[in-house]
Amino acid sequence: MEPVKINARQLFVLIVLFEHGSSIVIPLGVGAKQDVWLAILLGLTFGLLLFFVYYRLHRYYPDAPLTAYAQDIAGPWVGKILAFIYIVYFLYIASRVLRDFGELLLTFAYPETPLFILNAIMMLAVMYGVYKGIEVVARTGELFLTFLYLLAVSGFILIISTGLVDLHRLQPVLEEGWKRVWKVVFTETLYVPFGEMIVFTMLFPYMNNPKKMKQVAIAGMALSGINLAIIMTINIAVLGADVAARSTFPLLDTIRKIQVANFLERLDIFFMIALIIGGFFKVSVFFYAAVIGTANLFHMQNHQRLVYLLGLMVLLLSIAIASNYPEHIKEGLKIVTIYMHVPLQIIIPLCLLVAAAIRRRSFKQQ
Amino acid sequence: MLFQWGLQKKQKEKKEPTIQQERDQSGQAQDVPREPIHSLLDVNLDIIRHTTGNSSDIVIRRFTIGQERSIRAALIFIDGLADEKNVYQFLLEPLMAATFPISLSSKDTLSFVEKKLAAVGGIKRISHWFDLFLALTSGETIILLDGMPSALSASTKGGETRAIQEPQTQLAIRGPRDGFTESLRMNTALIRRRIKNPNLWLETLKIGEVTQTDVAIMYVKGIANDDIVEEVKKRLRSIRIDSVLESGDIEQLIEDQTFTTFPTMYHTERPDVVAANLLEGRVAIFVEGTPFVLVAPALFIQFFQAVEDYYARFDIATALRFLRVLIFFLSLVAPAIYIAATTFHQEMIPTQLVIAIAAQREAVPFPAFVEALVMEVVFEILREAGVRLPRAVGQAVSIVGALVIGQAAVEAGFVSSAMVIVVSITAIASFATPSFAIAISARLIRFALMFLAAMFGFYGIIMGILVMTIHLCSLRSFGVPYMSPLAPFIPSNVGDTLFRVPTWAFKERPRLISQKNIVRQGEHQRPQPSSINRQEENEGEQS
Repeated sequence: MEPVKINARQLFVLIVLFEHGSSIVIPLGVGAKQDVWLAILLGLTFGLLLFFVYYRLHRYYPDAPLTAYAQDIAGPWVGKILAFIYIVYFLYIASRVLRDFGELLLTFAYPETPLFILNAIMMLAVMYGVYKGIEVVARTGELFLTFLYLLAVSGFILIISTGLVDLHRLQPVLEEGWKRVWKVVFTETLYVPFGEMIVFTMLFPYMNNPKKMKQVAIAGMALSGINLAIIMTINIAVLGADVAARSTFPLLDTIRKIQVANFLERLDIFFMIALIIGGFFKVSVFFYAAVIGTANLFHMQNHQRLVYLLGLMVLLLSIAIASNYPEHIKEGLKIVTIYMHVPLQIIIPLCLLVAAAIRRRSFKQQ
Repeated sequence: MLFQWGLQKKQKEKKEPTIQQERDQSGQAQDVPREPIHSLLDVNLDIIRHTTGNSSDIVIRRFTIGQERSIRAALIFIDGLADEKNVYQFLLEPLMAATFPISLSSKDTLSFVEKKLAAVGGIKRISHWFDLFLALTSGETIILLDGMPSALSASTKGGETRAIQEPQTQLAIRGPRDGFTESLRMNTALIRRRIKNPNLWLETLKIGEVTQTDVAIMYVKGIANDDIVEEVKKRLRSIRIDSVLESGDIEQLIEDQTFTTFPTMYHTERPDVVAANLLEGRVAIFVEGTPFVLVAPALFIQFFQAVEDYYARFDIATALRFLRVLIFFLSLVAPAIYIAATTFHQEMIPTQLVIAIAAQREAVPFPAFVEALVMEVVFEILREAGVRLPRAVGQAVSIVGALVIGQAAVEAGFVSSAMVIVVSITAIASFATPSFAIAISARLIRFALMFLAAMFGFYGIIMGILVMTIHLCSLRSFGVPYMSPLAPFIPSNVGDTLFRVPTWAFKERPRLISQKNIVRQGEHQRPQPSSINRQEENEGEQS
């Protein structure tokens, strides 16, 4: 654990940036076609329920990260294994996000640059930030969130003012009934990005004002969910459900449609900035959680030395996890969701919570 | 030898061996005698002559005091440091005209001279050679009496100093015209004139084993954060160096982080800036011999605050602030964007513009990066030449620069004229940044960003700025986060950052700097002139 504290505003900023992360650029939940906003908002609702599980666990152990209280609840052996699994999970997701990020950059702007180089530059920045500590990352986030919002608002105004939005494309609502929406919720939007809040169980102990934590985290998640719903809805309203569902980066296609007075066109740079800022903070938070978890598990005083080693691991993993982009996407949608997200985001935290509650009760009775 | 003066004094006090003494054994000069001052006048004068190597600017005036019962005495001062008129009028004249009362014992002669004869403000009794030489070299006059094992030092500091002039840097259209000088006393007086308050505290210490330079710390007690004041003092006291010739010498020894291009201390030539900073709770460090006063802690945004922002009305000041941040950003990224746009992202430039640029670049034999690099380096050379050259030659440089770079290079086809425009914009932008310290760090980072742009286009630029921002957020100046009040965001202080709110809305001092006393003004400061008008109207109705 670093001897630093972050305040409520900084936690809020980190959550918002983290939740936006790569989700704003990928076709999030477009399987639900024009009901994507419904899928995202429902994902948010269930994500908030999940968050309460994490929050209760944190209330039982206000000064400890997930990797520490897992050992206390499940006993030293099982707990250590659980903590190790979570560290590997965080590292793996960090490298997945890094891979996403590199692939996006590769396809839309740098077809001839090696993926490894693109990822390496990003990872160097992440390592520098994490080396400086969570406080520095949070402060950087405060600056960039404002910047991101300015970009988003100006982009929004441009899209609206150029008359690209056609609200008829959002109709009919629930064309094929609820089934399609529920399917998207429980296979995609619940886990990414909302279930990924599990990583913040590693950051909650840094909070200097624990009383405000619940409302700040809920506000952050809600704001992100609403923003994501708006962004995806605009994508659908501009591109149409079919095009958006087939597009690799719906947001990029939307931005490319902007044309003002033959001068403001091809605003790809907007997209690139959003992509880099989001990617940076998402990788940073996962990577930081992994680094702190490792330092905690192996009782290391200083997390900074781990940054080099684990950073290199994430970088190499990001190249090694899949041989090409379709494989990477398929792994993400089929394998990771079932074998990683569901057990690690839902089942294990629930079990831990139940065990902790029982132990606490029996402890009281004694 | 000279270098060991200060050390021996300290050794006597602390009785601890110092490394410096071992390190510096080269000098052969005469040491300052360790023993106390001798009682025989001639011996003392010999010691002074010997120690100072018979330096020609040391004036030794021998005379006798008293008529019937006379006593031999000498005045010693350094020509040019002491005010000669004062020495003769208020020391030599009364001493030579004096008569001793008969009852006076020879023991009390010195105190009689001290109390009755020497007509100057500060007078001190000295019994050690170290103190004597320190007083002498600071411009004081030494009075030695025969048969007395101690001396008197009278403060006669004077001599020629530069008069108060308009500051050469940080010019302002509106605002006071006086600037700091090389004299520490005059500088502190300029602040005292502005803040007439007993809580304005001043502490002086000597830094530099050889130079024994006066360094003064000034702060407003009750507004300044005591922790920061203590921290400044602690860092100053731990300095062990032979010489301090400029405040930059000290700045580099006490700043928080060396390996950064960004300045974590602010320096200024303007007394009104220092006064304003003191009132915000900062600490000022004056150094004898330089008009540049250090201010700590310094925040990033401070380097964009020109002094006029506070004298001008808020809307104008806000517009100028935005302009300055834009300028800083331009001077950072303008050439990098040109490189990225022409090398990687032609599709992002509007079609007609890209055709125009491509037509110009057709004849240019270099890639955009080399072109930009060469032009930027040439410009840096020109600027460096312009700074150091005598004024008469400076014009020649600017003509050569304008002709060679502006026209000939384009006509010869070495560079495109678009590149010349970009370089000029960058150059003007870096001159327009209000603080030279931050402009120069932008100059360095610009080259790194150009390199990144050449390798990775906009991705490289954005990553470069991202890393720069992380770095900025990790900096601290005397414990205060460098990017505050933006990150960490402090709502009540944000009114003086990218924009400036009206003066009546400046309710609080910077929270992180002045931690306890943050209320700056009373309630209801917003001017409401309408009430006066209404009164007049009412009076008109009555009459």
